[in-house]
Amino acid sequence: MSTDVATSTAAFGSSTQFSAGEPVISIRNLSKDYRDFWGRPKVKALKSLTMEVRKGEVFGLLGPNGSGKTTTMKLLLGLLFPTEGEISILGRPATDVSKNERIGYLPEESYLYRFLNAEETLDFYGRLFRLPANVRKQRTEELLELVKVSHARKRQLKEYSKGMTRRIGLAQALINDPELILLDEPTSGLDPLGNRDMKDLIIKLKEQGKTIVMCSHLLADVQDVCDRIAILYGGELKVMGRVDELVKEQDATQIRSSKLSDAAAAEVREVLRKHGATDVQIDQPTSSLEDLFLRTVQESKERPGRRISV
Amino acid sequence: MDFLPDVFNISQAVGQWLLVLLVGLVSILFITFVSALIGGGVKGASRYGDSLVESLSDLVSVSSTRCYALAKLTFTEAIRRKALFVFVIFAILFMFAGWFISDSNQRPKEAVKVHVTFILNSLSWLTMIVMLLLSCIGIPEDIRLRSIHTVVTKPARRFEIVLSRMLGYIGVGTLLLGVMSVTSLIWIYRQVPEAARSELTARQPIWGDISFLDRVGTLTNAGINVGDIWDFRSYIEGATKGRAIWRFENVTPEMLTTVTSESGEKKEALRLESRFEAFRSHKGNMNRGLNFQYIILNPDNKLEVPAATLQVAEFIGRTDGIPRKLAGVTAEDSGKIYDLFDDLVAKDGSLTVAVACTDPGQYLGMAKPDLFIRLPDAPFALSFFKAMLGIWLFMVLTVALGVTASTFVKGPFAIMVTFTFIMVGNTAREFMDKLLSNKWTGGGLFESAYRILTYMNDTTELPNNPGTQLIKWVDWMLNGFLWLVQQILPNFSYFNMAGYVANGFDVDNMRSLVPAIVVTIGYLIPCVLIGYYCLRSRELEAK
Ligand SMILES: Nc1ncnc2c1ncn2[C@@H]1O[C@H](COP(=O)(O)OP(=O)(O)OP(=O)(O)O)[C@@H](O)[C@H]1O
Ligand SMILES: [Mg+2]
Repeated sequence: MSTDVATSTAAFGSSTQFSAGEPVISIRNLSKDYRDFWGRPKVKALKSLTMEVRKGEVFGLLGPNGSGKTTTMKLLLGLLFPTEGEISILGRPATDVSKNERIGYLPEESYLYRFLNAEETLDFYGRLFRLPANVRKQRTEELLELVKVSHARKRQLKEYSKGMTRRIGLAQALINDPELILLDEPTSGLDPLGNRDMKDLIIKLKEQGKTIVMCSHLLADVQDVCDRIAILYGGELKVMGRVDELVKEQDATQIRSSKLSDAAAAEVREVLRKHGATDVQIDQPTSSLEDLFLRTVQESKERPGRRISV
Repeated sequence: MDFLPDVFNISQAVGQWLLVLLVGLVSILFITFVSALIGGGVKGASRYGDSLVESLSDLVSVSSTRCYALAKLTFTEAIRRKALFVFVIFAILFMFAGWFISDSNQRPKEAVKVHVTFILNSLSWLTMIVMLLLSCIGIPEDIRLRSIHTVVTKPARRFEIVLSRMLGYIGVGTLLLGVMSVTSLIWIYRQVPEAARSELTARQPIWGDISFLDRVGTLTNAGINVGDIWDFRSYIEGATKGRAIWRFENVTPEMLTTVTSESGEKKEALRLESRFEAFRSHKGNMNRGLNFQYIILNPDNKLEVPAATLQVAEFIGRTDGIPRKLAGVTAEDSGKIYDLFDDLVAKDGSLTVAVACTDPGQYLGMAKPDLFIRLPDAPFALSFFKAMLGIWLFMVLTVALGVTASTFVKGPFAIMVTFTFIMVGNTAREFMDKLLSNKWTGGGLFESAYRILTYMNDTTELPNNPGTQLIKWVDWMLNGFLWLVQQILPNFSYFNMAGYVANGFDVDNMRSLVPAIVVTIGYLIPCVLIGYYCLRSRELEAK
């Protein structure tokens, strides 16, 4: 199996030559049609996706609503079966259950058992990993602290707010101290503080050497934490690469400073012009990933079926 | 007792079960393999091999920890979803039932029968319905709410999910039944009228085999038919050589019971309980029951010793002690004393008891369960809890069927499928057996319809033309389908042990309890496998 992955990686070794880590996930020509009751294809949710995620990186899956991000994750986890193509995750096929020992998954919405309380929930998932009682207890403690719901540990989840449920969802994804973590929109429903915590947590997990795949709409977050991203549109891969390289404009220079007064700005503009700079803009910076994202979506709409070059 | 099922042949049943399982397994494997080959060519075949290996590894890597966690989850879910409201229904049922079913004019036996039957049947159906609803809804809800996504993305095998669902619901059912059985036992003890309490017992019968002698003394299989519609009993004529003969195997002195005679003295005797039916062809003496006589025979040396002449106690039955020492009455052996075990039990250990009617022109009706050796009784609670075990097994089977159905169809459909299965198995089985026994003339569904429409007699041959050929062929196909259904449906009659308890008998292990256990296990295993296969081969998306 492992040789298989190695050769396939070499075969479709994409344009990425950045991370030295070994591939944790490799997907080749993955397609998914949702079918109706009679087996007729209804939606082509994913069209021939090829990509890989390497050990130790934070990988972001971007795309507008309905572009196939969640579908990709479910395929990786064996919740859905591919129409075509191959998946290798942690060196195993997606339907192999034993790979789940090393995976943590936060679903798009927190699909938890609403009649359990926070403690019972974590204990239950801990048991599924056959963690011994003391480890379960300790992890439950730690994780409840980490996601900041230990004050509500005895309340049934049906009484939880959306953000609180989300936090428990995250805690259950980390109960087995996984190597590979799949987060489907981890920040949805979280307050700004929670959002900040989530980003810090992802960075911390990355420092511990974990591999993380996440979907998100909040581009600023993605830009802050992801090493590489892929943008999907209508089930097709449009852009893939390192975040810093993707958003770097080759023929422009950006100068940042604290906010300048109008007079100072005019002076700077003067200096730049003296050095032959054209097109000088002095304004507040925008998220450049957002630019990229919007441009990608725009171009995909105008010229469907093409990979977009950045 | 009005019924006596045949002794269950376990080895034959297990053999047939293995055969069916094997054939089913092989055909499923073959069909799926061929479809994989057609669908995906060589690649499909190799993928098929992989998934086969994966399934096997799923089966062997079952973990008790995970099963416990999942079963506990199921249990908690059911409890917190207030499944125990059933208790309330049950309590209400009890409070009002007493008013309707108690009747001071009842014979004691009837009083016990009514109470016990009511309790056991209502318990059985109530539990069945609750467990059916619970077990059919569990997995579909889990899929609809997608909470199952967080479970299957953990190392939990889908096999474990199916198995633990069943275990969890069985746990719930056990709790329900446990509480309800104790409550109802107390209720029965309190509710049954004082006079009838002695009938709350568990008779330990030794059954014999029956044969008949006709009026001139030749051996036959059945006696006379007096025109009763119910041909359960057959009759012997009074004051002729007609006899009903029971042969009991392995009769030993341990079977003696201490009985108290009418005069109040206690002595050892072999207790015989009988319940014969009288058929009077003329008025005779209306002030007493018909007379009958027990005669003990020893086939080895043709010895015949009359034991007692008694009156038939119709509808009630009577228990009599045959003393160990019996006096000879014929010319040759008068005055001689025979010992029941030394002189009358045959060398092969069997005891032969003949029954003759002594009233000329009257008839005595008998069937195999109408006479038995009654050993010392066991406490009523024993037979009651055995019947509860039967209900428990029925509940287990319901859960297994429900969970299995719920792995491939949504909740409401699963309920419908399982309910139909259980109802057909419970009510239509006898009819189905009859239809398939080929005892009926007039052909199958379409042939009978044709005969009705053309006013054709049952026994007339059908004209031979393509039309009737077609009718016969379609009927043959329908019968084949019916046969298949009959083979697949469990025999639910094993689970209903109320008849024993209500009649004051201990539940027969080999006739009811063991078959019920074997049938349950026999369905449980394929159910878990089918459920696993269905859950595994589907995407867990709500559709
Ligand atoms: N169970 C399903 N049955 C049919 N079609 C589905 C199903 N789930 C998703 N789809 C379709 O597949 C496509 C991709 O959906 P997916 O959930 O992967 O999008 P997404 O990128 O995660 O979107 P979002 O940002 O809204 O979460 C959509 O067109 C959606 O309608
Ligand atoms: Mg999504």
